[in-house]
Amino acid sequence: MKSSAGGFGTQWFLKMSTDKQDTLLKMSILTIAAILSFSTRLFSVLRFESVIHEFDPYFNYRSTRFLTEEGFYNFHNWFDDRAWYPLGRIIGGTIYPGLMLTSAILYHLAWFLNITIEIRNVCVFLAPLFSSLTVMVTYQLTKELKDAGAGLIAGAMIAIVPGYISRSVAGSYDNEGIAIFCMLLTYMLWIKAVKTGSVFWASLCALAYFYMVSSWGGYVFLINLIPLHVLALMLTGRFSHRIYVAYSTVYCLGTILSMQISFVGFQPVQSSEHMAALGVFGLCQIHTFVDYVRSKLTGEQFNLLFKSIVLLFGSVGTLAVAIATALGKISPWTGRFYSLLDPSYAKNNIPIIASVSEHQPTTWSSFYFDLQLLVFMFPAGLYFCFKKLTDSNIFIIMYGVTSIYFAGVMVRLMLVLAPVMCILSAIGVSGVLSTYMKNIEAPNKKDKKPKRADLTYPLKHEIATGVVFMMTAFLVTYTFHCTWVTSEAYSSPSIVLSARAGDGGRIIFDDFREAYYWLRHNTAEDAKVMSWWDYGYQITAMANRTILVDNNTWNNTHISRVGQAMSSTEDKAYEIMRELDVNYVLVIFGGLTGYSSDDINKFLWMVRIGGSTDRGAHIKEHDYYTPQGEFRVDKDGSPILLNCLMYKMCYYRFGQVYTEQNKPTGYDRVRNAEIGNKDFELDVLEEAYTTEHWLLISDQCLCISFATYRTGKHAKSFATNSSLHRLPGCRRHLQQNKVNDNQQEENHNEDHGPAARKKSCSVVYSTPDNTNSHGGVDRQVLMPKPFIIQLADSADHLHSEPIAPHVLAVAAWVKLMK
Amino acid sequence: MASSPAMFAGLLLASCIALSCGLDKKTLVLLDNWSLRETHSIFFKSLRDDGYDLTFKSADDSGLSLSKYGEFLYSNLIIFAPSVEEFGGNLGVSSITNFIDNGGNVIVAASSSVGDPLRELATECGLEFDEENTAVIDHLNFDVSDEGRHTTIVADSEFLLDAPIIVGKKSAAPYLFKGVGMVADPDNPLVLPLLHASSSAYSYQPDAAIDDYPLAIGTNTLLVAALQARNNARVVFVGSIDFFSDQFFSSSVQKANGGKKYEKSGNQELALNLANWAFKTRGVLRVGDVKHHKQGEKEPPQAYTIFDMVDYSIEIEEYKDGKWQPFNGKDIQLEFVRIDPFVRTTLGNKNGLFHTTFKLPDVYGVYQFRVDYNRMGYTHLFSTTQVSVRPLQHTQYERFIPTAYPYYVSAFSMMVGVCLFSVVFLHFKEENKEKKE
Repeated sequence: MKSSAGGFGTQWFLKMSTDKQDTLLKMSILTIAAILSFSTRLFSVLRFESVIHEFDPYFNYRSTRFLTEEGFYNFHNWFDDRAWYPLGRIIGGTIYPGLMLTSAILYHLAWFLNITIEIRNVCVFLAPLFSSLTVMVTYQLTKELKDAGAGLIAGAMIAIVPGYISRSVAGSYDNEGIAIFCMLLTYMLWIKAVKTGSVFWASLCALAYFYMVSSWGGYVFLINLIPLHVLALMLTGRFSHRIYVAYSTVYCLGTILSMQISFVGFQPVQSSEHMAALGVFGLCQIHTFVDYVRSKLTGEQFNLLFKSIVLLFGSVGTLAVAIATALGKISPWTGRFYSLLDPSYAKNNIPIIASVSEHQPTTWSSFYFDLQLLVFMFPAGLYFCFKKLTDSNIFIIMYGVTSIYFAGVMVRLMLVLAPVMCILSAIGVSGVLSTYMKNIEAPNKKDKKPKRADLTYPLKHEIATGVVFMMTAFLVTYTFHCTWVTSEAYSSPSIVLSARAGDGGRIIFDDFREAYYWLRHNTAEDAKVMSWWDYGYQITAMANRTILVDNNTWNNTHISRVGQAMSSTEDKAYEIMRELDVNYVLVIFGGLTGYSSDDINKFLWMVRIGGSTDRGAHIKEHDYYTPQGEFRVDKDGSPILLNCLMYKMCYYRFGQVYTEQNKPTGYDRVRNAEIGNKDFELDVLEEAYTTEHWLLISDQCLCISFATYRTGKHAKSFATNSSLHRLPGCRRHLQQNKVNDNQQEENHNEDHGPAARKKSCSVVYSTPDNTNSHGGVDRQVLMPKPFIIQLADSADHLHSEPIAPHVLAVAAWVKLMK
Repeated sequence: MASSPAMFAGLLLASCIALSCGLDKKTLVLLDNWSLRETHSIFFKSLRDDGYDLTFKSADDSGLSLSKYGEFLYSNLIIFAPSVEEFGGNLGVSSITNFIDNGGNVIVAASSSVGDPLRELATECGLEFDEENTAVIDHLNFDVSDEGRHTTIVADSEFLLDAPIIVGKKSAAPYLFKGVGMVADPDNPLVLPLLHASSSAYSYQPDAAIDDYPLAIGTNTLLVAALQARNNARVVFVGSIDFFSDQFFSSSVQKANGGKKYEKSGNQELALNLANWAFKTRGVLRVGDVKHHKQGEKEPPQAYTIFDMVDYSIEIEEYKDGKWQPFNGKDIQLEFVRIDPFVRTTLGNKNGLFHTTFKLPDVYGVYQFRVDYNRMGYTHLFSTTQVSVRPLQHTQYERFIPTAYPYYVSAFSMMVGVCLFSVVFLHFKEENKEKKE
């Protein structure tokens, strides 16, 4: 309205009535915010390609594809024999299907309208789409709480808040992407229901709640927050028929609906997480009844009756709850919930929960990083809410306070905090602005200066202008900060890695997909791959192979078994691998290139989880530390660590590789140490494939290397080493033989070494040349990974006898006593 | 029905049966000297009669080779060269073990002067020859033809391992033996002690005074031993090259201390049985068709459901008398395995078709039908077929459970109650107001 600078557009604008102008302005702001929220999430698509990110989304993507191809009932009854071999997993009954159903419906709708979109793209762009919807809902919610102005600010803020973007960039196809929308929708409808007291809004709220339950396990927060709100209203004496109607409807309908999700099942009436809601529901009935009785009786009579009844029911109720808990009817509180209340609980008791980085407590810096301005405006918003307390304001206060606590406990719950931060900050900003905007005198009314006679408030106009400018500056920096964070921190798909080269260009490393596609195209259809559970979903989705454990960590014992295999010696691990019919083992190793979240850094968790069950009781964490209590991979490291399977797989032949200038061979660039155990052979495993980026390039490069190892039945048919089928003979002779063999191998090595090396160099150099043309970085290839030699030379060497033995992948057969 | 990619994956592993078994009879015979062809002619002739294609070569022939262009030229190897110190050509212990590891069969005959290569080969196979110039000596059970050193010993047929598939029917005639003794590695379960010496035998240098504890004493002294590797390659070690000689085949046997006299030793029969077993014309099993499906159906489903009744059948054949015939074993068991066996039942034999019907367990997962048949003398029979067992579908549960009837009643009565109540509530509301007024 201020922009009355003339021109055709504005004239047309001014011709409208104020109401119409208002609406148009709101709509355009909201539309722009929605578009912004969609487009700011597209960094990763533009920079990389339209791929699914991370780990969990791959599972969601796979099940969505299944749903669209096979239909709902097959999806509902889906028994997946590709995961959790040999246990299998009932997918239909162990997931929240909301996400998949949403994208399937959108997909079919698009096809019905003859928009031939691929299902992958629906999945990739679903989260940005829903974030746009979230903007609308946030506007509505804030409008209910305060006014449309605050709503617009909240909508604009939530469009770009990094705490929310972190889970909803394009490609991050996860439950949270739509759950935030559902949650805010439910809240909005709940506020409506509370305000109107109508069954209609309450039923809609229950439906929204159902959608929320169907899409995210975080619905538990919601079903505790709403009763908490009701309880707070009761305690503050604001309980009324409106709230009674709203809550009774929402609770009854919502509970019945939520029990339709087979993963939720009977939890709403059994587990302790839902008991608060049930309790408040009961309390509502009692409260209303008491109010009714009070209106019919005199004060004295009522007090007597009230006291005796409270005593009676209190004791009976406590007793009943105690008995039910003792009998196991009310399920013991699950670990994740405990870790919310007591951050150290999970760490001390459930290693598998503590091992997930997003379950770690939040650091202060990440609050600022994810929320920036909102951290400071949040208290202001709270102040404005308290200043004008209403039923709905109490709700947003409760939401803000509880979620800030939970976000402090678990990084992941930052997601729940972000919307309320936006809403409360928007209320704060809007409050400040509307207060001070009034004080700014319109510049064209300068002649009315005498009006500024308010002596109690000197410099009213200047202060107001200053505050408004400051607030504008804050909002502008917020925008810049959010965009920067989104672009730098939250837009990498983590499946494709990028690194900055010396000249600022980007280098892309695609080793993950390289390895998965290798598995897909080079292994038997029913091959079983053992890896740490992080990579489970990706292997099933991209490599289409059977895996033992995946990111749905439902069976601790099974994961523990894999952890035991990884942290045992080869012989022990071999037994476990035979038991589980493992054909391939996949490890991620970044020591050559400096990719820090590799399996060696996760290894202590494997030890902890492996040792957490009965069968792994012999695996003790302190065995893997040095006597000083350090985790080291160099010479001082614990011998148990230096001989366990994971170490051997990761550092197999690493001892011969130069990684960094002026450093010895086998220098691990992640741990910054020269590895302690360099020369060893794998007895029961054979190296099957290692991805491309074993080469050390310039300092800044980030790459990973995969090693897939073949074991089991295949090794049998390819076994070449001595005493494989025939088992050890008399020991003293055998050992002599071994020594001889080794000497022979060394001889071979010397004979054929130079030739092989020469050849390999020519092969290997071709790769950096290619990358050089991309990045133009000054790189030095110090030592190629020998495996590449084999690949390149295998054709030439097929019939000529000895290839250098360290190049030959050696299969061996462990002593397997019948 | 759900069709996750390859929900059902049938896996048949009959890898244990070398493709060439029984068919390819190419045999390389390595000799110390060419005169062995004459002195052992009966043995070689019988092998020829059985259809073996024998190629004789001197053990130090410079052109010796077991393989060419990565393929093996022979499927069987006979080493009648006990004293060889070094094989000719590119043959060596490692190439022979490689040959065994790839399924080749070997018969090795030794003597008191065993050379290093054979010694190494034996240790690779879990056996150990006694030191050089030692022989098995038995002062009680030597043959009348012995020249006074008591090394031509008589081994009774009761010392033979009870494995008719390998050694054939026990003949009454004892065996003549003159050569070196062996001991088996006690940790190696694959070694079969086919023939051991009597309790009075020992192994030592016949001419030297005994000032050391002998390596092999009494029944620990093995005269004939065999190894069936995990890949079913068969290796037979005989401590005496004379065991196969025409002389021993045809001579009469009589224990020196006035034992019963047999016109002919049992050597020939045993030697041929050993050769036929070692070269896999006997004691070889193979898996034919494996079928499984729900009872009353023909084709295997994509995935079984828990509690299904399942028919499983497997065809097993035995190579016998030069052709594949139905196997007539009675003790073959089927296991239904998911890490541990959930079901284990004996298969009924109907002329080589082994069949059973059983109920699937109440546990879903990925299972294997596993037949793991390991009997002495037979090749290892191992067949697994992977199937998925899924839980009940949502339509397969019972619609009404009798025990839940009280709940049904309460639910429906509640509905009726609410209906009635609302009617009553709506009707009496106005009347109440009127009364108050």
